[in-house]
Amino acid sequence: MTQHTVHKVDLAPQSARRTESFWSRVIRQRQLILMSFPMVLYVLLFAYGPIWGWLMAFQNYKPGFSITDQTWVGFDQFRFLFMDEGFTRVLRNTIAMSFISLILGFVTAIGLALLMNEIKKTGIKRLIQTISYLPHFLSWVIVTGLVSMALSTEGGIINVVLMKLHLIDKPILWLGEGKYFWGIVGLTNVWKEVGWNTIIYLAAIASVDPSLYEAAEVDGAGRFRKIWNVTLPGIRPVIVILLIMNVGWILNGGGFDIQYFLGNGQVLDWSETIDIFVLKYGLRIGNYSLGVAAGIFKTVVSIVLLYCANTIAKRLGEERLI
Amino acid sequence: MGVRARKTALGLLMLILAFSLVASACSKNGNNEGGSSSSPAPSASDSSPAASPSESGSPEAPVEPFTISLFTAATGPIPTDDNKIYQEIREQLGVTLKEEYLVGDIEQKLGVMIAGGDYPDMITANAKLTAAKAVIPLEDLIEQHGPNLKKHYGKVWEQLKDPADGHIYWLPNYGVYQGEFKPTDYMGPAFYIQKAVLKEYGYPKFKTLDEYFKLIEDYAAKYPEIDGQPTIGFSSLAFDWRDWGLRNAPQHLAGHPNDGGVLVDPVTNVATLFSATDTAKPYYKKLNEINAKGLMDQEAFAQNYDQYLAKLSSGRVLGMFDQRWNFGQAHDSLVSQGKFERTYVGFPLVYDVNTKDYYLDRPPINLMNGFGITVNAKEPEKIIKFIDTMLSEKWQKRLNWGEEGVDYLVGDNGLYYRTPEMRTQQEDVTWKQKYKAESLWGYLPKLEGNYPDGNADGPGNQPDEFFANLKDIDKEVLSAYGYKTWTDFFSSPPDNRVSYPAWNIDLIEGSPARVANQKMKDLDFKLLPKAILSKPENFEDVWNEYVSEMAKVDTKAYLDRINEQLKWRVDNWTSK
Amino acid sequence: MQTVRSKFKTEPFLFHTFNYLFMLFVVVVTLYPFLNTLAISFNSGIDTTRGGIYVWPREWTLKNYEAVFLSGRVFDAFWVSVARTVIGTVVSVFLTAMLAYTISRKEYIFRKPVTLIFVLTMYFSAGLIPSYFLIKDLNLLNTFLVYILFPGAGAGLISAFNMLVVRTYIRSLPESLIESAKIDGASDFKVFMSIILPLCTPVLATIALFTAVGQWNSWFDTFIFASSRQELSTLQYELMKMLSSTVNSNANPSLSSTAAKDTATMITPLSIRAAITIVASVPILFVYPFLQRHFVAGLQLGSVKE
Repeated sequence: MTQHTVHKVDLAPQSARRTESFWSRVIRQRQLILMSFPMVLYVLLFAYGPIWGWLMAFQNYKPGFSITDQTWVGFDQFRFLFMDEGFTRVLRNTIAMSFISLILGFVTAIGLALLMNEIKKTGIKRLIQTISYLPHFLSWVIVTGLVSMALSTEGGIINVVLMKLHLIDKPILWLGEGKYFWGIVGLTNVWKEVGWNTIIYLAAIASVDPSLYEAAEVDGAGRFRKIWNVTLPGIRPVIVILLIMNVGWILNGGGFDIQYFLGNGQVLDWSETIDIFVLKYGLRIGNYSLGVAAGIFKTVVSIVLLYCANTIAKRLGEERLI
Repeated sequence: MGVRARKTALGLLMLILAFSLVASACSKNGNNEGGSSSSPAPSASDSSPAASPSESGSPEAPVEPFTISLFTAATGPIPTDDNKIYQEIREQLGVTLKEEYLVGDIEQKLGVMIAGGDYPDMITANAKLTAAKAVIPLEDLIEQHGPNLKKHYGKVWEQLKDPADGHIYWLPNYGVYQGEFKPTDYMGPAFYIQKAVLKEYGYPKFKTLDEYFKLIEDYAAKYPEIDGQPTIGFSSLAFDWRDWGLRNAPQHLAGHPNDGGVLVDPVTNVATLFSATDTAKPYYKKLNEINAKGLMDQEAFAQNYDQYLAKLSSGRVLGMFDQRWNFGQAHDSLVSQGKFERTYVGFPLVYDVNTKDYYLDRPPINLMNGFGITVNAKEPEKIIKFIDTMLSEKWQKRLNWGEEGVDYLVGDNGLYYRTPEMRTQQEDVTWKQKYKAESLWGYLPKLEGNYPDGNADGPGNQPDEFFANLKDIDKEVLSAYGYKTWTDFFSSPPDNRVSYPAWNIDLIEGSPARVANQKMKDLDFKLLPKAILSKPENFEDVWNEYVSEMAKVDTKAYLDRINEQLKWRVDNWTSK
Repeated sequence: MQTVRSKFKTEPFLFHTFNYLFMLFVVVVTLYPFLNTLAISFNSGIDTTRGGIYVWPREWTLKNYEAVFLSGRVFDAFWVSVARTVIGTVVSVFLTAMLAYTISRKEYIFRKPVTLIFVLTMYFSAGLIPSYFLIKDLNLLNTFLVYILFPGAGAGLISAFNMLVVRTYIRSLPESLIESAKIDGASDFKVFMSIILPLCTPVLATIALFTAVGQWNSWFDTFIFASSRQELSTLQYELMKMLSSTVNSNANPSLSSTAAKDTATMITPLSIRAAITIVASVPILFVYPFLQRHFVAGLQLGSVKE
């Protein structure tokens, strides 16, 4: 075994490392730095660079004139957003749909992945996997069209089946009653994305050390015990990471397209999310600034929630995002 | 690791292939990278100005080849590179058209276009562009280089001017008639009812809601199923921007034409709202009534456009309030299924039999629509000349009728007609991609009405074509009422009042008027269906809720803006 | 707990029956929309408006596909799509993995700030117009490079999501591997290239799939940044153009009666949308099975552990 004396081996004890100077650490880790800084520069330029655009939130931005050439309105755009009498309702809808979609999404994706994993014949497993993510490739227009048809009072399959099972005696106008809308959003999201979402869990499951299963077998574990004690803990880091990330996205309202295509006047009080509101009163009527203001609001809330979720994960000893 | 090596090899192979493609693509336009999207191809900027003065006289003298870039929302099949019409334009006029089509949201595209100042030479109308000063005034250009245009717009010259600064920015594509205006088909709003229902009751004449719904009620009771599916008495649509089905009926019932969200007094030109007023209430009360009788489509306001069309295409919807062009697809579907008696006839209903109906209108000039020339155009005179040339009878016929022998034949009386094969060909999208220029045609200014030789501007309005397309049931219906065409069902429209119509008044982006308009629409969408579908004993409560909610909306801002513009029109649109 | 032996007889049978039945349900429910779309794409547009098309066309036609393939520059655009998907994915996956490696090293001095910088990008967006200015100022408008550097009209070359997923995966690899390599004198880069990358095949295949699908489906970036150069048009963009024009020709209220009548066609937005969907998704559907076999590679991991 040849000894390289140029590189200081990274196994120095903790105490020795702490007394090292900042710069010598930098030099020692120059490879890591080189391997990451180009990307950092990229993201600073392309993602952070355009943030000067947030100034638009404090103006009545009209395209065609430079950003310094606009009328400043201070917090008026924010005021329009928050003071609208529907705002609390819109906020409630957004959070509710996010939350429902999140829970349903996680449970179904993980559950399905675990069940898929139990299928031993690889050919069939692959076939099922491939078919299950087909809806991911359909556009939302198509998917919502199908949902609309399935929920129709005129021969829509849901009503037909429910009536045949004598659970209801006349068709329900699902898309006409606000209280069903959140559920429809959650379930549609599941239908479209559950197959796709299992991909990441299946990859994680595939990487669990097989010898752990063998050990569990020896301990007399049955199928479900193995899943509970080996598989789930094995993919827990992935689950936690995804959970934390999704908490940050809570103001995205469980999507945009379902609310846009299936929302109608009768369910408006339940279907309108922040994004839909901003579309109607911002972009559609030529007010670009409203969208920016809403975006800033969402970002601030996201970061706060993210920090909280991350800290909780840290306290619980779980995998952390940061 | 064989797997990895294989993946790498394949990846490399694709990379090489891709790179070679990219390299060839990049080298083609080497000197035209980045920057604005508007500059014409290098050849145009080289064409010497010396060439232009010599052709200012003749509208068709060949011009040195140059390219016009333009941006539109395509309204027809996207033409292929070897499209015949575009080729003729290239050969005969020296103009190469480089077209860009709107794919996604117009607001976003306009936002970045305006922000970056990246405009093509020609662009289709939008209020944002005028506000951003992206387009140039056209009146001088027309005076100097556009004789056909000047003649065409002569009578409505004042109306073309922008209220804000008096310049002409857009060349409206519809609404200016050269000869007589003789529509055969009716395409506008009406209360539609199936021909089968009319036939069943001996082609009755009627004018009120009560009579209309009585027919529907009786027919539905007699035929609870059509083709194996439950009959629907009356349906409607309130989806996305297709809102007139829900919102517009009251103004017509009150004897007014389509002014959008207001009623305008024809004498004083002052606008008032009709939403949530006693003008609208009787209509919705009636709908609530028929809903209680089970005649109203329960899904009417929750369905999307495709579902609405599917319902109509099934032939079991007896009636609806809609605009004819909106359910055109359903009509075609019914015809293709052979269900001719399930197609619809439009009737102009009114609240009071003594009110004259004003559904059919004289098409107003289509302001804020058509082409404009942007500040980035390097040779606007050439562009105006091009548009001017397209306004000649020769080119108008070429684009609308088509090519003689291919799209139409000339009869002994000099009138054009189409053979059945030609008609089928016109429906073939792939054929049209090569032989027609519908998007371009859609936005160009048009000579509408009849030509001096007696032909209509296009096959759609050619009377003989119309009569040739009538089915037996159609002939029966028309003769039973003593009419020749579908428009005869409607009263002949008076001349448009000066300020007509109010629906195309620009509410100014981001203004309180715009916000109010959106809120009014939201409220209509939310509470009108509720009112219609609720139990009769609850109707009053819901209606009152609707009225009080509407009172919270700043409708005054909306109304003020409309009235301000109406008054401006009265003051400025003196020629008509 | 029952003894292991007795569990083997009935439990697997019951479980597998249930599982297969459940999977059957999943397959039916997820296959149906696709079959339906396929059926509509082969059905005459006007006939489809009648409703009632489920998994089999009623009035068979190839018109929808004809219109799609003859529209614009579908074939050229296809190759542009392939190019951007392949190049974009390879570059993105490599850089993302490399970045993920660096932040997986606990001793990396900039680990926290770098991670934070990327994570935050998932939660804000600067806005379309400022991004447009940036792209314009960098002379990236109407270039192929914008597809690589700014896909989907966002800073997507390095996806924070993908980065985190890879990082999580790398962290699950036994630390001893890396330690022993370093004792042997390997630099971080060498460790990354020869140890980490090969071991990460499952997760790399995963994010490659995500990235590839994203690149393939992307049309908004063409729309905003590259719409005036036809050579840069992608398959999705051409298809969207076609869809847009069909929708508009059936829907413009400012068109007068004559035009509205003359443009009646057999092809409706619904049938075109169906054909477009099939044409757009079939190519990319072939990618997954190809990548799928890499998911299984993780099983080799056990053998490396000491």
